[in-house]
Amino acid sequence: MLNHRIVLLILGLLLVVEGVFMLLTSVVSLIYGEYDLPYFLVSALICISIGGLFYLTNKNTDKSIGKREGYIVVTLVWLVFSFFGLLPFWLSGAIPSFTDAFFETMSGFTTTGSSILNDIEALPHGILFWRSIIQWLGGMGIIVLSLAILPILGVGGMQLFVAEVPGPVPDKLHPRIADTAKRLWVIYLSYTAVETILLWIGGMTLFDAVCHSFTTMATGGYSTKQASVAFYDSAFIQYVIIIFMFVAGVNFSLSYAALHGKFKAVIKDEEFKYYTLITVFVSVLVAVVLYFSGDVPHVEQAFRDALFQVVSLITTTGYATADYMIWVPTISIIMFMLMFVGGSAGSTGGGIKVVRIVLLIKNAYYELKRLVHPNAIIPVRYNSRAVSSPILTNILAFIVIYMATVGVSMVIMSVMGFDLDSSIGAVATCLGNIGPGLGEFGPASNFAAVPDFGKWFLSFLMLLGRLEIFTVVLILTPYFWKN
Amino acid sequence: MRIIIAGAGEVGTHVAKLMCNANHDVILIDDNAERLQQMEAHFDLMTIVGSVSSIDDLKSANVESCDLFIAVPPYEELSIMSAILAKKLGAKVTIARINNYEYLLPENKEFFQQLGVDQLIYPEELAAKEIMTSLKRVGIRQQIDFSDGQLILYAIKVRENAPIVNKTLAEVGEIHSQKLYNIVAINRDGETIIPRGNESFKHNDLAYFITTPEGTQQLMTDAGKEQFDIKNVMILGGSRIGKKVAQRLEDDYNVKLIEIDKEKSNRLADELERTLVINGDGRNLELLKDEGIKKMDAFVAVTANSEVNILACQLAKKMGVRKSVAEVENMDYIDLAENVGIGTLINKKLIAASYIYRYTVKARVSHVKCLTTSKAEVLELVASDDSKIIKGRLSEIKLPKDVNVGGIIRNGQAIIATGNTQIMPNDKVVIFAMPSGIRKIEKMFN
Repeated sequence: MLNHRIVLLILGLLLVVEGVFMLLTSVVSLIYGEYDLPYFLVSALICISIGGLFYLTNKNTDKSIGKREGYIVVTLVWLVFSFFGLLPFWLSGAIPSFTDAFFETMSGFTTTGSSILNDIEALPHGILFWRSIIQWLGGMGIIVLSLAILPILGVGGMQLFVAEVPGPVPDKLHPRIADTAKRLWVIYLSYTAVETILLWIGGMTLFDAVCHSFTTMATGGYSTKQASVAFYDSAFIQYVIIIFMFVAGVNFSLSYAALHGKFKAVIKDEEFKYYTLITVFVSVLVAVVLYFSGDVPHVEQAFRDALFQVVSLITTTGYATADYMIWVPTISIIMFMLMFVGGSAGSTGGGIKVVRIVLLIKNAYYELKRLVHPNAIIPVRYNSRAVSSPILTNILAFIVIYMATVGVSMVIMSVMGFDLDSSIGAVATCLGNIGPGLGEFGPASNFAAVPDFGKWFLSFLMLLGRLEIFTVVLILTPYFWKN
Repeated sequence: MRIIIAGAGEVGTHVAKLMCNANHDVILIDDNAERLQQMEAHFDLMTIVGSVSSIDDLKSANVESCDLFIAVPPYEELSIMSAILAKKLGAKVTIARINNYEYLLPENKEFFQQLGVDQLIYPEELAAKEIMTSLKRVGIRQQIDFSDGQLILYAIKVRENAPIVNKTLAEVGEIHSQKLYNIVAINRDGETIIPRGNESFKHNDLAYFITTPEGTQQLMTDAGKEQFDIKNVMILGGSRIGKKVAQRLEDDYNVKLIEIDKEKSNRLADELERTLVINGDGRNLELLKDEGIKKMDAFVAVTANSEVNILACQLAKKMGVRKSVAEVENMDYIDLAENVGIGTLINKKLIAASYIYRYTVKARVSHVKCLTTSKAEVLELVASDDSKIIKGRLSEIKLPKDVNVGGIIRNGQAIIATGNTQIMPNDKVVIFAMPSGIRKIEKMFN
């Protein structure tokens, strides 16, 4: 039987945490003295009181979390956080439509970065800060945060951890899950702090520097400017953001190793190698095309624009310094393909993840070898160890479901009247938690024009993508609920 | 404390579970990925797939920063090798499991320490010792000696015929003018309770008493256990434990050992001079009758199969054997076996675990013992000058409610604890603690 009381208990506790973050944001409103302050306080009160009620009524329950409770908690947490997280947007009237507010919040928590806002600069600072902080929370993961700060989740924490952390098999940095989560958050926090300082030095206001660091490290992509990073015509700022986007797309356990002086582990890591290789190769390719096609005739500018867009898309951040839709068509096709790659496992990036693509291609290649030598045992190696076949099967299933979801969703989008470019772009960008799509949803435009049903549907795709499909799909299958 | 356990066999996984529940940082190394996955899914620990004797794999487990390295792989050579490597790589304390009695001899201790193996454990040897203790005194389920037997913990099954049954603890305390024993815990229906004065004994309770050698006689009388001497012992199963027990018993007792395997029987007959080795199936009642099971005083079942051991002991009980001992390695059977009335249960994993456990307790501890039939532990802790425990009489200081103080050894003199007892520095205090209370009581001694 499902232990629904422990689910309510954890959700209640986490809601209180969300309320606390709203209170933190209200400090920003207070500093700027804008009209959104009371709405943050009311939202926080709602979160804390409902969460507290859930917690107190279920306090004495049996504290064991099974596999099923784990999947349910993780999925529900993201939904509940989005429903309550939209309150400041909705109540304050910054986003008057409930659907729009939900889309914006879900897009925030899942670090997608697709927006429905047409005039970002007009919003009060508190709202902008809340937009950034939800991405930051969603980036490393709500559960990972909770594991770090709530000792009560220690029991069965592994079940939750596995269901939330991206990648086939999560790494542990420390024997205990709570300490692993703490270390991850410390690295995350330090990177964010360093980036903030650098951006500040580069000429951003402190407020903008903090907000951009939040959304860079989360590979989210919400900007405080309508024009995104293109607003800042500074090579320094753009390079800083490129570097931190790239770092955020690397497995955080590699960051941990590097910070402990184990650079060899980083260099030897296969996923890191391919991730870097793809980034460099595609960037150079795009830069060359840009330069010779005459779209961007200046060498450094071509290289920087190419690198920025490529890193932004492969890490699934979704910032823009240029509109790739107005470049030659070859580039938008390359960009579209990048949307499926995604960052590394164990990073804050979305998408399919480099490790899965690498293993898929290796396996396909070895399949050819196996045809020539039918009796040979040819294992798929990764980091010089053979990958077990259950993991390979899991990856194949993941990619099949991912692609099938893209296909079906594309049709649903086209029914709403969007053309091929726009439909497939919107689906790929939401499922991959990226931000900008193709066609009508390119980097220069936004999702305001999508009908209400489409917004709910795309929000669902974002959640599906952030929790790597299996967690959500599993709950929708009948055998999950059978005893 | 950071603990690395090399080898996820029966002992390894059991120790890992224990350490995890005691909130230590546990890293488990084994070459079997499947077994590790099982453990990782259920316990909060880190696993590393690799060889326990590979320097690279040990390094990836951060062996240089570990406080305790426990080597329990399937082979003795591997175990010693692994411990040596770990020590050289920087592990603070290393423990290795062995299967060879020679290594345990005092004269070899220094040799192993020079190699880098600080402690050796030989679970079979420890199990044999425990069986020996249980045979010396009948009517008790488990006996643990503290400070060379100055204080003794007895686990006794209270039956209807006991004078103390249906009396409350307070009433029992009034029977004798001087306090001769302390009731530290009662195991009832699989649950361990720390009793207060108003708790009464019920039929079939497994009660834990702490007493002195002088109090033992009175305790046995009160608990309705009459004493008799064991002369004839039948051992079922020529396993390492069976052989060890036979070796120790054969000089003073009449010992018969039944072993199903012909080859093994021959070897045993060669090694055991005064034991009668019988080649046959111990589950065969005719064979047991032929070998005079009815005249036996004790029956020790130590085959590799827990089910066989439990059933054979049942059979022996039915034939009138008064003392039965069964090796039960399957943890899920322990409660069951306890309920069907088998005298003493032996579990190698638990024995090894309690031996290892003492290295993980921070307070000055001289003895730790896990109980077979309860999750609780008995610890012998040493009070120091600034321990919180010496700040007042036991009734005045706030003891955790999942902990009971049994007795004290002061300058070699045993004292049964009462509410008026005042603990002094350097006292050895015997404490019965539920797992939830161990940390709390540890703090009171630090």
